[in-house]
Amino acid sequence: MRPLQRILHVEDVPSIQVVTRIALEKLGGFEVLSCASGQEALARAQRFAPDMILLDVMLPQMGGLELLRQLSSLIDLQHIPIVLLTGQQEEPASPAELRQLGVRKLLRKPFDPLQLATQLKEVWNAEYQ
Amino acid sequence: MPAPSPPRELSRLAALLRYEILDTPDESAFDDFTQLASHICDTPIALISLVDDHRQWFKSRLGLDVSETPRGISFCTHTIEGDGLFEVHDAQRDQRFRHNPLVTGEPHIRFYAGAPLTTPDGYNLGTLCVIDRQPRRLSEGQRDALMRLSRQIMRLFEERLQGHRYAEQAALHQALLNSAASAMVLTTADGRISGVNPTAERLFGYSERMLIDRSLTTALFPLDALVRRAAILSDELGETVEPGFAVLIAPLLEGRREMREWRLLHRNGDSVPVLLNVSAIHDEHEQLHGYIVSAYDLAHQENLQLRLQQIAAQVPGLLFQFCWRPDGSSSFPYLSEGLEDIYGLSAAEMAPGIAPIYSRVHLDDRARVLTSIRHAAATLTPWHFEHRIDHPRKGVIWIEARATPMRQADGSVLWHGLVTDITERKAEQTELDKQQEMNRRLLEALSEAVVACDAEGNLTLFNNTARLWHGLDAAQLSPEQWPQYYRLFQADGVTPMPYDQVPLLRALRGERIRNQEMTIVVHGTARHVLANADPMFASDGHQNGAVVVLHDITERKQIEVLQRDFVSTVSHELRTPLTSITASLGLICGEIVGEVPEHLQELLDIAHQNSKRLSALIDDLLDIDKLYAGKMRFEMQRQPLQPLLEQALRSNQGYAESYTVSIELGSCPAVSIEVDTMRLEQVLSNLLSNAAKYSPPGETIELWAETVDDAKVRVSVRDKGPGIADTFRERIFSKFAQADSSDTRQQGGTGLGLAISKELIEHMHGQIGFDSIPGAGACFWFELPCYPPQEAQP
Repeated sequence: MRPLQRILHVEDVPSIQVVTRIALEKLGGFEVLSCASGQEALARAQRFAPDMILLDVMLPQMGGLELLRQLSSLIDLQHIPIVLLTGQQEEPASPAELRQLGVRKLLRKPFDPLQLATQLKEVWNAEYQ
Repeated sequence: MPAPSPPRELSRLAALLRYEILDTPDESAFDDFTQLASHICDTPIALISLVDDHRQWFKSRLGLDVSETPRGISFCTHTIEGDGLFEVHDAQRDQRFRHNPLVTGEPHIRFYAGAPLTTPDGYNLGTLCVIDRQPRRLSEGQRDALMRLSRQIMRLFEERLQGHRYAEQAALHQALLNSAASAMVLTTADGRISGVNPTAERLFGYSERMLIDRSLTTALFPLDALVRRAAILSDELGETVEPGFAVLIAPLLEGRREMREWRLLHRNGDSVPVLLNVSAIHDEHEQLHGYIVSAYDLAHQENLQLRLQQIAAQVPGLLFQFCWRPDGSSSFPYLSEGLEDIYGLSAAEMAPGIAPIYSRVHLDDRARVLTSIRHAAATLTPWHFEHRIDHPRKGVIWIEARATPMRQADGSVLWHGLVTDITERKAEQTELDKQQEMNRRLLEALSEAVVACDAEGNLTLFNNTARLWHGLDAAQLSPEQWPQYYRLFQADGVTPMPYDQVPLLRALRGERIRNQEMTIVVHGTARHVLANADPMFASDGHQNGAVVVLHDITERKQIEVLQRDFVSTVSHELRTPLTSITASLGLICGEIVGEVPEHLQELLDIAHQNSKRLSALIDDLLDIDKLYAGKMRFEMQRQPLQPLLEQALRSNQGYAESYTVSIELGSCPAVSIEVDTMRLEQVLSNLLSNAAKYSPPGETIELWAETVDDAKVRVSVRDKGPGIADTFRERIFSKFAQADSSDTRQQGGTGLGLAISKELIEHMHGQIGFDSIPGAGACFWFELPCYPPQEAQP
């Protein structure tokens, strides 16, 4: 089984983006491409070719779910597990809708950065074992 | 011999019996006739014979010893069956009689002549007959004499019959007189007493003998009364009436039969009240024979009147009987002594008629009083009126008059009524009216809406504010129609209120409603109100209605929403930086980015722990806000209970270990529950982490489940901590509740956990609670609907 390596990370809040990227790189040893907006992610995703996408559902201008819809026309998302970060307050969509968009797991904020890498690996393993 | 026609014979027998003469003793008056007949006809035997159904019986007989003979052999039968005189010249030569035993044996009859005794209506009762023992023939003169004699006998029979009748009638009259309840005095045409009955003897104290032949008016009438009456009659009749017997008969001569009250004289001088009636007695030739004066004793009635007076004296007010005649005149046949009290009038001032009373009616009320009396008289409906009286002694007083009119035979209207002084009541009423007016103004001025209904649920009060809020006034509706008509909704402003939850109706059913939140939606605008409703009780303790007071909280609700939005916004804004702080500290403290120098470690740990606590507080705040706003979504899924408990155990084991306590999962029934997995986890984590925090080190937390009944399962978490203090029991599930304020710092935690758990469990159709003995640990539990495990998720 191919190990999880490349993670496309979309997060608009710089401080959280940094903390998350550090946690994933240091604890998981992943290669992380952090984007600050949906537009940036759309522009860079194809070239980066991620194994997995971790994105915040609350993004300015283009929400996380909208990003997924547009992204699916650029790259084949079928084999790219998606993990959604949501705040306590938001209920992005029904579980059925989320599944249809390729969302494998919903992580509630605040997430524990020490656990994050492990949680993503669990999703990956569940997908490919 | 022709047979007599039976019906005619029966009538003849009835006529015979009517004369009541059969089997009566001998009478010389009849013997005279037989003597005369025998003498005139020159026969040895003469008889007055009466023929009944089986015999002939002799009322008088001359020259014969037997008193009767059988009818079958009698000669007289032939006489009565024929018409006129019947004569047998020689019986031995007569076919009809030659073998008759009266012919062949004693008395050896040879000659017979009978004249029928014929009643005025033509029945032959018998005969006057003469008999001889040798043949012979009567002369024309003898025959004529015999017929005349028979007619005389019949006349005598008639007289006897009349005599009987007279005697009977006389006896009847006497009996009537004797037993009459009224005193009867018979007088001659000129007024002398000719007889009195025993009642009269008793009433006046005289025996009949003492009164006979005395003048009636002298004996029994007081002179002054006669004089007064004579004067009145003279006046009325336009001719002088003497104060004697004429006073009694003068109206009679005018064709007036009158009943009049008199006070007559008893022998001992007492006055005897009577109702007197005089009738003339005429004989059969219309000749005045005398008078019969009947006197009905009024003493009994006067006693009754006295009693009425005594009763009336007990009645507050005035009892009256009032007569209004067709000609407009009026009188008071009866007035009780309340007259002075009510109208300030003495009996002496009461002229006949209503004028004196009318003059006392307050000037402003007179026209209305008269109108109402006239109306009642015209419609014969009970009269009831309250008006003022100008009382000479008391000033203006209020009275209440009630009377029932009855039409009399002569067209007049007779009223029975009662008048009472209601001045005091009026004053109270006025005071009450004032108070009610005051209450009304108060109600109208209130900024709260007030609505009331009576015991039957009829809306009786809508104050100004209520009308304004509903845009409607009180209407005749059944309570079922209230919510729709008055646009009542539940607190959310969209769910129509079921009628049985309307506060006023609940209060009508005896409940006391405090601060029930509801919404009135008029023209699309929602007004949020708090309803307080109470049953209302009459002074006798019976519920006579209900009242609800509505307090407008729309503004408060709006502020609440603003506040919540503010808290929500602030929490949100706080969370993002806090998340990065917490995460950064987590990475630093986890030495992910490099080794932490020892002298920094403790401070960094403190910063990390507290930033985590701050995050949790903000999450809880946001949770509770979402719950209260009804915005939290629940993904309900039916699933087995056991794995959920196992997961909770795993998730919280680490936390418990940090307090050096362990969690032990006990029994769990094989049931499914329908829950949002994450929310149930949240509740279990809350209960388990609380238990861990309050458990003494080294203790075990017990987690187990059991079915309560077929439809419910209870999950319990028991710790061995200090338990819940009694003073805290009631507040434990409210926001920011912790056993004491120092706990927050000591135990960590936001004080929102149980409040959130309660909301979550209730949203999932369950209940939460706890059992605790202070000092001996606490056992928190929740109950949820459960289902058999094999049942597939719907």
